[in-house]
Amino acid sequence: MTHEPTIEATAIDWLIRQRDPAFADWERFSDWLGADPAHASAYHELALLDGDLEALPVHPAPANDAPAEPARLSRRWWLGGALAASLAVVAGIGVLRQAPDTQRIETALGETRTVALADGSRIALNGGSAILLDKADPRRATLERGQALFHVVHRDEAPFRVSVGAAQIVDVGTVFDVTRTDGRTIVAVSEGAVVYNPASSNVRVDAGRRLAVDDSGGQAVVGPVSPASVGGWQAGQLVYDGAPLSEVAAEIERTTGVRISTSPGAAAIPFRGAFQTSADEARMVEDLAALSGTRATRDTGGWTLSR
Amino acid sequence: MDQGMDAVLLAHRVQLMRFLESHGAGDAAEDLFQELWIRVTQRPTGPVGNPLAYLYRAANNLMVDRYRAERQARQRDHAWSEVRGGLDERAPIPTAEEVLIARQELGRLNAALGALGERAARCFRRFRLDGVPQKQIAAELGVSLSTVESDLRRAYAALIAARRQSDDA
Repeated sequence: MTHEPTIEATAIDWLIRQRDPAFADWERFSDWLGADPAHASAYHELALLDGDLEALPVHPAPANDAPAEPARLSRRWWLGGALAASLAVVAGIGVLRQAPDTQRIETALGETRTVALADGSRIALNGGSAILLDKADPRRATLERGQALFHVVHRDEAPFRVSVGAAQIVDVGTVFDVTRTDGRTIVAVSEGAVVYNPASSNVRVDAGRRLAVDDSGGQAVVGPVSPASVGGWQAGQLVYDGAPLSEVAAEIERTTGVRISTSPGAAAIPFRGAFQTSADEARMVEDLAALSGTRATRDTGGWTLSR
Repeated sequence: MDQGMDAVLLAHRVQLMRFLESHGAGDAAEDLFQELWIRVTQRPTGPVGNPLAYLYRAANNLMVDRYRAERQARQRDHAWSEVRGGLDERAPIPTAEEVLIARQELGRLNAALGALGERAARCFRRFRLDGVPQKQIAAELGVSLSTVESDLRRAYAALIAARRQSDDA
């Protein structure tokens, strides 16, 4: 057909394109939207509908179906909160879901554990970490603190979801590492991709990328990471490309159990390079100090790195 | 910490104001710009690879949220004026009746999606509910990218039609 697309069809095209996290054609969209009040009202109608769709059941209803019965509606429908889906609602429900069928797995500093899930997925838990698993929903995990490497068997109809703080990470691919410490979340992806907070910021993190975000509202950053280095802590092989020394020290502490803190002046020093943990504690910490240009001192509470 | 975002907001103030106006902000554009400022500087945010695109998206969400709130207020006013004679207060929690209506509405939307046929419905669910990129959906379903695009367009058009029907009912 050669005639112009209808306003509605154009609005649909914009909306579909905007669901791509990388969409950047906002100025042209702005021009279109402002060109005619009918454009804005078509777009708003569609955008409200699109928001409501969050509450649709993930699994299709049987073909001959009358309007779905309540029993058939998935949890997702309920999460959507009566067509008023918002991040606040989702986060609130996340807190409520502390059911008795939750399993908590915790590791001491220096202790690592691997948890095999029924669907073949594996979660490797670094030391000093805690994770919650939900027996009723094996495709969901909550990282309370510490660090975990997820080898997820991807299933189309049930993407794996990791809750961390108030945020959600949804797998699009397979292998990713999540670190949660003191209000800071880091997601590093080695294979496939994940989507960070699909309901709000909707940021895709592909293999070879690393996302860092603070709960305090600080600006989050996506940067490169070597895919091969993600989850390297499992073999004691830690590779950094400009991570702050405080994060490096915390990861070594989790992995080896050796307590290492950083003085305020040294915490932000960017650290680049590969680091192999070792059983020789003093040598390992000396190496770290040498590589980062700091001084290591030992006291009763462990080691401190300072300038 | 958000110094960077403040600077980008300021540098693109004119464009962003124009965008809010395109959305129908009218006289409220100035206030809405302030609200945008608060949103992006005080809330925990996603990562920002392209700050200007991020701000546009935040502004877009702000305007859509505003229309959603207006719609809810309108629906409530309408329902309440019959029952309670028009109280101004907005209940943050949906009433049982609202939940029921929402559930019926979802059932209708779900049925409209099912009526498109299995491939289009599946394509749409993967796109909208699972957040899978179109290219990947095409690969999964073994169809071309343009088939995925056209399925998505059809699905949205069918859902809009279904909603209009229930609004008229």
